[in-house]
Amino acid sequence: MKPFRADLHIHSLLSPCGSLEMSPATIISHALQKGLDMIAVSDHNSTLHCELMVSMGKKAGLTVLRAAEVTSAEEVHCLVILPDENAAHSFQMWLDCHSMNIPNHPEIFGYQVVIDENENIIREIDHFLPASLSASIDMVEAEAHHLGALFIPAHIDRPSMSITSQLGFIPEDLYIDAVEVVGKIPELLYPVIRNSDAHIPEHIGRRYSTYLMESPTFSELAMAIKGEEGRMILSVTP
Amino acid sequence: MKVTDIVQKLDLKVFSGHDGLGREVKGGYSSDLLSDVMGHSDAGDVWITIQTHRNVMAIASLKEIAAIIIASGEKPGDDTIAQSNEEGIPILGSDLPAFETAGKLYTLFN
Repeated sequence: MKPFRADLHIHSLLSPCGSLEMSPATIISHALQKGLDMIAVSDHNSTLHCELMVSMGKKAGLTVLRAAEVTSAEEVHCLVILPDENAAHSFQMWLDCHSMNIPNHPEIFGYQVVIDENENIIREIDHFLPASLSASIDMVEAEAHHLGALFIPAHIDRPSMSITSQLGFIPEDLYIDAVEVVGKIPELLYPVIRNSDAHIPEHIGRRYSTYLMESPTFSELAMAIKGEEGRMILSVTP
Repeated sequence: MKVTDIVQKLDLKVFSGHDGLGREVKGGYSSDLLSDVMGHSDAGDVWITIQTHRNVMAIASLKEIAAIIIASGEKPGDDTIAQSNEEGIPILGSDLPAFETAGKLYTLFN
């Protein structure tokens, strides 16, 4: 087993707040430059860039995991890291079912575009992606685990859109695989990971976690986060 | 003023916590961020929110909130109702949005 560096929270240009520079090719080349072995593409309430990024990552020698940064009805941001293409497809249908369909105003919030490998725009998303879903955080967690995904409340120490800001404290009956922390590591009973939450290329890999695993894959990551069979979270960046 | 007076004057639904309708009300607070309510509400406040997660009851109990008003016609979940009954902190319902509910409540104190 050996250490692998992973940044599991990166927005592509599909997120309205993601820079238009955040094309799959740019994300992958920056991740490789930073020495990352594995990334996850986690746009707001959408998995629509996952398949393109997985296949482009494969060609470039970088593991890309499918993910989304979900906004629950309580306005809590949660990373859902998905095991495979089928799960991502099912999760996208679930996201579409629970969208409140609030229109996006690109001139205010930014453009939400899906592109192909030649960076041609193939689709523009009309509803404002970061808006909260109609699904409660309990429902997000249940759906994530139903699909075999990892459920990770995002930036839990931020003063907005975090489980702590919205709910005051972490409900102890919520089944949480790990928490993502930005600042000082709190004393918690949950595994702690760090990710960049990059919206611009320069931020990719500014925070990451190192996992001891056999190979950079979803199943190895899941074991490392759960501390199973010798896999573990080795360290997080300061 | 007691919780029951506010129920009558604002024409509110009582979802749960009937045992607490006689609690004394000293003021009000309106917020949907539970971290903010934890930091800034006072004991005896009536708390207006559209947040319905069960943590609402934990915060209300911690801060000795007199009663919770769920605005905009939202409804609390079964687990939240059960805890409200157990703690005797009433959960009330208003069909009006938080702004109008708070406006009406404010006039009762002035």
